[in-house]
Amino acid sequence: MTTGIDWISIPLVGLPLISSIVLLIFIGNMSAAAREKLGPSIRMVSLIVSFIMLGVTTMMFFGQMDNMGDWATLNFGSFNFEHRYQWIEALGIHWSVGMDALSFPMVWLTTFLLPITIVATWNEKNASVYFPLILMMGGALIGVFVALDLFMFYVFWELTLIPMFFLILKWGGKDRKYASQKFFIYTFTASVVMLLGLVTMYFLQPESSGPLFGTWTGRTFDIPTLISHSQAANANGMWFLGESMQKVLFVMLMIGFLVKLPSVPFHTWLPDAHVQAPTGGSMLLAGVMLKMGAYGMFRLPLAMFPHAAEFFQFWLLALGMVSLVWGAVVCLGQTNLKKMVAYSSVSHMGVILIGIATMQPLGWAAALFMMFAHGIISPMLFAVCGAFKHHYHSMEIGAMRGMAKHSPWLATSMMFAWMASLGLPLLAGFVAELMMFLALWHFLAAENWSVFWMVGPAFVLAITAAYYLWSMQRTIFEGGDETQPPASLHGEPVPDIADSEKISMVIMAAFTILFGIMPWIALDMMNGWTVAFFEQLLIPILNGGV
Amino acid sequence: MDDVIKPFGEGFVTALAPEFVLVIGLFTLMIVPNLGDAKFRIPLTQVRIPWLFGGKRGTLDSDPRLPGIFASLFFVMAFILAAVSFIGGMQTKTIASGTNELLKVDEFSRLFELIFYGALSLASIASIDRLPATSRKDRSVSGLYNNRRQVDFYILLITCGLGMSVVALAQDMFLLFIGLELASFSTYVLVAFMKETKEGSEAGMKYFIVGSVASGVGLYGLSLLYLWAGSLQFEELTAHFNATGMDALPLTALGMLLVGFGFKVSAAPFHFAAPDAYAGAPGPVAGVLATASKAMGIVGLLRILLVVAAPEGMEDSTTVWLIALAVLSVITMTWGNIAALGSTNPKRMLAYSSVAHAGYMLAAITAIGALNWDAAHADTSRTAALAVVTALMFHLVVLVCFKLGAFLVLSLLESENGGHTLESLGGLVKREPFLAVAMFIFMMSLAGVPPLAGFLSKLLVIMGIVKAALIESTASGNVTFSEIHWVWYLALIMVINSAISVFYYLRVGLVMFFNEPEEGREGPLPRGTSVRLAIVACVASTIYFGVGAGQLIALCESAANALLGVW
Repeated sequence: MTTGIDWISIPLVGLPLISSIVLLIFIGNMSAAAREKLGPSIRMVSLIVSFIMLGVTTMMFFGQMDNMGDWATLNFGSFNFEHRYQWIEALGIHWSVGMDALSFPMVWLTTFLLPITIVATWNEKNASVYFPLILMMGGALIGVFVALDLFMFYVFWELTLIPMFFLILKWGGKDRKYASQKFFIYTFTASVVMLLGLVTMYFLQPESSGPLFGTWTGRTFDIPTLISHSQAANANGMWFLGESMQKVLFVMLMIGFLVKLPSVPFHTWLPDAHVQAPTGGSMLLAGVMLKMGAYGMFRLPLAMFPHAAEFFQFWLLALGMVSLVWGAVVCLGQTNLKKMVAYSSVSHMGVILIGIATMQPLGWAAALFMMFAHGIISPMLFAVCGAFKHHYHSMEIGAMRGMAKHSPWLATSMMFAWMASLGLPLLAGFVAELMMFLALWHFLAAENWSVFWMVGPAFVLAITAAYYLWSMQRTIFEGGDETQPPASLHGEPVPDIADSEKISMVIMAAFTILFGIMPWIALDMMNGWTVAFFEQLLIPILNGGV
Repeated sequence: MDDVIKPFGEGFVTALAPEFVLVIGLFTLMIVPNLGDAKFRIPLTQVRIPWLFGGKRGTLDSDPRLPGIFASLFFVMAFILAAVSFIGGMQTKTIASGTNELLKVDEFSRLFELIFYGALSLASIASIDRLPATSRKDRSVSGLYNNRRQVDFYILLITCGLGMSVVALAQDMFLLFIGLELASFSTYVLVAFMKETKEGSEAGMKYFIVGSVASGVGLYGLSLLYLWAGSLQFEELTAHFNATGMDALPLTALGMLLVGFGFKVSAAPFHFAAPDAYAGAPGPVAGVLATASKAMGIVGLLRILLVVAAPEGMEDSTTVWLIALAVLSVITMTWGNIAALGSTNPKRMLAYSSVAHAGYMLAAITAIGALNWDAAHADTSRTAALAVVTALMFHLVVLVCFKLGAFLVLSLLESENGGHTLESLGGLVKREPFLAVAMFIFMMSLAGVPPLAGFLSKLLVIMGIVKAALIESTASGNVTFSEIHWVWYLALIMVINSAISVFYYLRVGLVMFFNEPEEGREGPLPRGTSVRLAIVACVASTIYFGVGAGQLIALCESAANALLGVW
């Protein structure tokens, strides 16, 4: 455990959560008029808080903090800025935080997206409640990524639902009531199954005593301790907790994570939530919240139940493949711009799942990088959709044509985002997809699996290009002067996007290019983590199965 | 070492201080509002002696709000006295006449008294504004009527509290039953307090009929038990049980007692009166029924199932009541949740959710029966039983915070004739953001969303069940999934049920934050500082016990220890 200032709990988790709650209580006692008047200042406060957070994580990235190891060479199982406080002694529950190269990119991504989201949705109505909710969302998301205690992990995991529920409910589209309810119930159901799995695992671990262990349960919720337990127990072909138990628990945990990811067939909440969510909500939902699922898989089931993961490898690969193909095929049929983008997210999450299923260092690094790249690209996609909706009052593809003529900024952003998402070389998404292909090839060859598995991804490349290009052709290029603006505008002049939106688009585009040309900035630490994971945990356990 | 105290002997009053405060409160409420300037003329003379009862009352003691304030003060005082006895370690005191133990003051009974007094004082504080007490100048018939019956309400609340504490303290089945009846009779009247409304009289009638039948069955079971053991002392019963084992007579008796207590915790199939009663009763009373009254039923169940029919006495690891209780708990939680899905009256919905919670608690009690008590496992089994009972206690304590809180919010709506339809909650966030947020917190806590107290209580119950289910497998070190005791599936059914329950809890939130206020309900809610104070207390404790529950868990553990001490 390192000493010094707790750089995680104070500025990254405590600051956004407490400031948002204080702001909400503060404005709760005001009249509607006073609330309206205070909106801009609350927005400014939220922006400043998010900048402080971004500043802290960026300093962390450059290694400017005391007592921190280099991200790329951090030993497996050790964490930067680790701090632990007693929470519920009887059960072995701690407030325990720390970051390694798995969680740090996600935390940085969250802090990066917070100011961007705030700027991109600068003119959102009901600002005095909206911006604190965005902050709260950010704090809860970071809490998930930095938690090193299962209890704390679960608390933050569920806490993310509440601000998102309200974001959809209060600022969403026409069917927001249905969508917010579906979103909440769907993911909650999956997480309680996961909770039962966690509790069962908690009691199956060997009893012990020590500062980390509960005084009357003799067990711990501490994730690193659990991982080292399982590491020892999994060795030599033995199964941690026994073979059948490990399989059952793996499935129970994966249900929680697969629904969050989401993977087909658990994906149906996502398009509804996305289409109805406000732009800011969608950006955070697609950018970070989906990655909670993949993050959770790496942190818990893959680390603790590698045998079960190997056992279910076929099913993981199949699920990933189905998500990839099905998500893309469904995109072809969409007429709603945002729904199309939402399904493309399902497709991209399939890439992550395939990367995981390969059980190759390269595949895992690809999955990690995909999490990161998609976290920058998909908010941009949704920002474009939001701008589209905001300016043309419609989300239908073809409602507005010839955008290139009258809204060059929006057209450019859209084209850029679309290209990034379909995997144009030199942009961030391409790196991840290429790595995934290589890893899949390598895996199929090494394990003598049928080459026909490659048909899916290859097929999807074509489909992805088709639906993106088709939608661009219909909105950006076709028509032009002779096309009338959509009826939903009621004859108003056609505006281009606002300055605040331009700023956020440019920043997201710049980072997409940056990570496309120089992927090693983030990839190095991901690679380091993956290689360490394989060298120290998986290879000894799986008897050189790679 | 236990202090043994004779009834009305040395130390009797200090041992039962909270109860005596309530008795004093009872007499105060009976006397003070009647004080006046009446004089008594000695017959055959002209001498008039000031008699003080009746006549023209003074300005202070004729205030219709006085009984409420008095009752709240006495409840709070009793609560504090009960809480103080925890400071510096509890001294267990037994009140016994001869060899017969009557009452026992220990962590277990004190913690339950805290639950009872906490719920009752919140309800009583909330009722000060909630009951339609008008000013003294109101000379209309209904105004006079309402002002006149204020004192009845609070007297009944106090007798209810007294009966409940007797249940918690009792060391004798008969005494326990007397306490139960004292509390029940008070609640029968309290439920029917709004007898001039249709719902109120219906609620009172149904609750009384079903309740008295259940009590009658329970009493019959008690008599069978007496026939079998020749005593109703817990110690005697346990000893007799361990000596002779289970045969048809005590089994029948146990089943009948289950009916009696099952009604109190509103377990299926004895829950039918609960939704009607909750819907017709005044909000705070419904809150008391769902929290304190239920806790009282749980005391009965714990006593009869764990102490009397102790699983330790059984030769094999499966106790007789295990299967029956498991089936009952599954039916209860599923029925409660599914019925709640379809109810549009928020009070009925809360009643069904309370049925579902009863199912969770029954599942936890079932898990204790699954433990193995042979020599090799006895120690671990005891810790598992401890975990389960602790979880139950914790659940009952925090239930007071959020369930009662939800009923208090509804009771505010009641005073503008709302609260009976979901639509009347519409647009609450615009009318009063604080109440809407508070209600949302209560709903989320009921659903078990972290970091609220409801989550932790559900987690503890699940942990208790899982621990009990795994105890045999972990002891042998080698676990396969098929070897796990089947009570694990109770935990699975429970989490699935709590996922179902999110649907109707969330619906309340949706209506409050999404719908527009109903016509005629646009303005702010009726005044009522005391209700809002009580709601603030509920919100604060719901969040506090969710985030910093360490001390409360330790307290519950010591109480569980006190209960299981006989094992």
